[in-house]
Amino acid sequence: MSDVDLQVVWQVMKWPLAACLLLPPLLVYLGVHVVQREVIFVDLALAQVATLGTCLALLLGYHFDDRAAFWISLAVTFGAAALFSWSRSTHEQPVPQEAIIGITFVVAAAGVILMLSRVAGGKEELEHLLSGDILNVTAIEVGRRSLLFAALAAFYAFFHKRFALISATPATAYAQGLNVRLWDFLFYAAFALVVVSFVRVAGVLLTFAYLIVPAVCAVMLAEGWMRRLMVGWGITAAASLAGLFASYQLDLPTGAAVVCACGLALIIVSIIASARRRQGAVVA
Amino acid sequence: MMQHSMIKLATAAVIALSAMGTAFAAKLNVVATTPDLAAIAAAIGGTAVNVKALAKPTEDPHFVDAKPSHIVTLNRADVLIDGGAELELGWLPPLLESARNAKISANAPGRVVASQRIRMLEVPSSFDRSKGDVHSLGNPHFLLDPLNAKIVAAHIAEHFAKVDPKSAALYQANLRTFNATMDAKLIEWQRTLAPFKGAKIVTYHRDFPYLAERFGLEVVETLEPKPGIAPSPAHLARVITAMKGARARVILVQPYQSRKTAETVARQSGATVLDMPQQPGAVKGVTTYFDLMDSMVGKLAAALAKP
Repeated sequence: MSDVDLQVVWQVMKWPLAACLLLPPLLVYLGVHVVQREVIFVDLALAQVATLGTCLALLLGYHFDDRAAFWISLAVTFGAAALFSWSRSTHEQPVPQEAIIGITFVVAAAGVILMLSRVAGGKEELEHLLSGDILNVTAIEVGRRSLLFAALAAFYAFFHKRFALISATPATAYAQGLNVRLWDFLFYAAFALVVVSFVRVAGVLLTFAYLIVPAVCAVMLAEGWMRRLMVGWGITAAASLAGLFASYQLDLPTGAAVVCACGLALIIVSIIASARRRQGAVVA
Repeated sequence: MMQHSMIKLATAAVIALSAMGTAFAAKLNVVATTPDLAAIAAAIGGTAVNVKALAKPTEDPHFVDAKPSHIVTLNRADVLIDGGAELELGWLPPLLESARNAKISANAPGRVVASQRIRMLEVPSSFDRSKGDVHSLGNPHFLLDPLNAKIVAAHIAEHFAKVDPKSAALYQANLRTFNATMDAKLIEWQRTLAPFKGAKIVTYHRDFPYLAERFGLEVVETLEPKPGIAPSPAHLARVITAMKGARARVILVQPYQSRKTAETVARQSGATVLDMPQQPGAVKGVTTYFDLMDSMVGKLAAALAKP
């Protein structure tokens, strides 16, 4: 590649690159929580509910980029966050929380289809909401989200012990007299804010991929919060770089390329993890 | 056929070789948003330009998926031709912002907004997004009227000459050839469609009013209840009844529209579904604007002639 080419690559890809490196670390942290809580689809459900909120705004005549669309989407997603924190209980109950989450996802997805059937170009809008537009992300969008995510990261870091306890062993948390429902709501509300603001630039698919794939890889490869985060962040950066590179080199839609790179990363990590386990078995 | 393509290949090779020797670096990089605009630009620019279209021929020009190459292409463009009238509103502005190319910014000589000199149809008196994808500046599918294609060709030639004065004579000569061919062809097309004056047709989207107006056809219904809004069962039932009453016997669809919906309606109303891609390149062998119109007029005449 010549210097001129590199300049063009840099110009085209610098903000997508910034978005894919600066924003996902917080998603990875949330992903590790979600894997521990065994509520994998909560992020997909929240992302879908955020999309439902955006569609509601479109239906009310706002444009996708309007400030109002963001607030409507956020309000709707807070509703779902409240539902999820309320539906989690320590007592054995016949209906697992995963069922509520799955139902929320399906109904939100169907609601999106219903609403968009009344919006001009609905079919294409739907695809757009799924796949996002990370390629055309602007400096302002990345900057604003970086500030917001930094603040939220500080919030999660400050209360990390509490959140970690509730995620890992809710029974102990109850026994210690913590108001688990309140903390769960705070957890999900901040989660919703992350998802709503990230979904608007990256789409539902990429948001889900960043939340879950690095966290699953990390849980496969490492123990303990700090190590898992390190592994997750490393994998996120590698998958982002590979996906963006493939998108540029092969001229593929950017968001989908990064999602597939995440999938590939998971396959590689699974092979490594199973090889390690076999080795461990032989040694033992 | 074989021979023909061999000659074409040889010609292309000769042109390429001679271009490499002399004018290669000086060729204008022309980008058009859609293949139909690109075809006209290629006819006017001839050997002095390289033309690229952003949208694929089978892609809905209202919605194009952004890819890195689009930004690179726009970044290197000397001239950008867009349809305007909000056709590309959903996807072109962010790409342009990322491309940062002053040569093709609004009002620059390197920017041709094709709709600017067109007498637009269906300009709404009041604008409301809830009424569907109503373009506030009128219906943007204007190139299907050959006279509009001539206006756009002249518009393009003028800007080419401004950006690249040394080839101005070539652009003028190409424009004259284009116009002469168009005048002759238009008479031919009008003769072919003359027996069907007043024939009633149905389209999926409101994308054929200019063609209908030029050739005296009447679009009685669209399968979309409002532009851009997916067909609902109640609306389709209404369309079927209306089609039977008006004896509309053809439904025109584009590659990116739901052929299944059209087929359902056709079964119920005794009509035939006609694939009418509006972009050159969607069908093999259709590369120029004239090829495109030839194929459309031919298909329409054949379908309307059926008893």
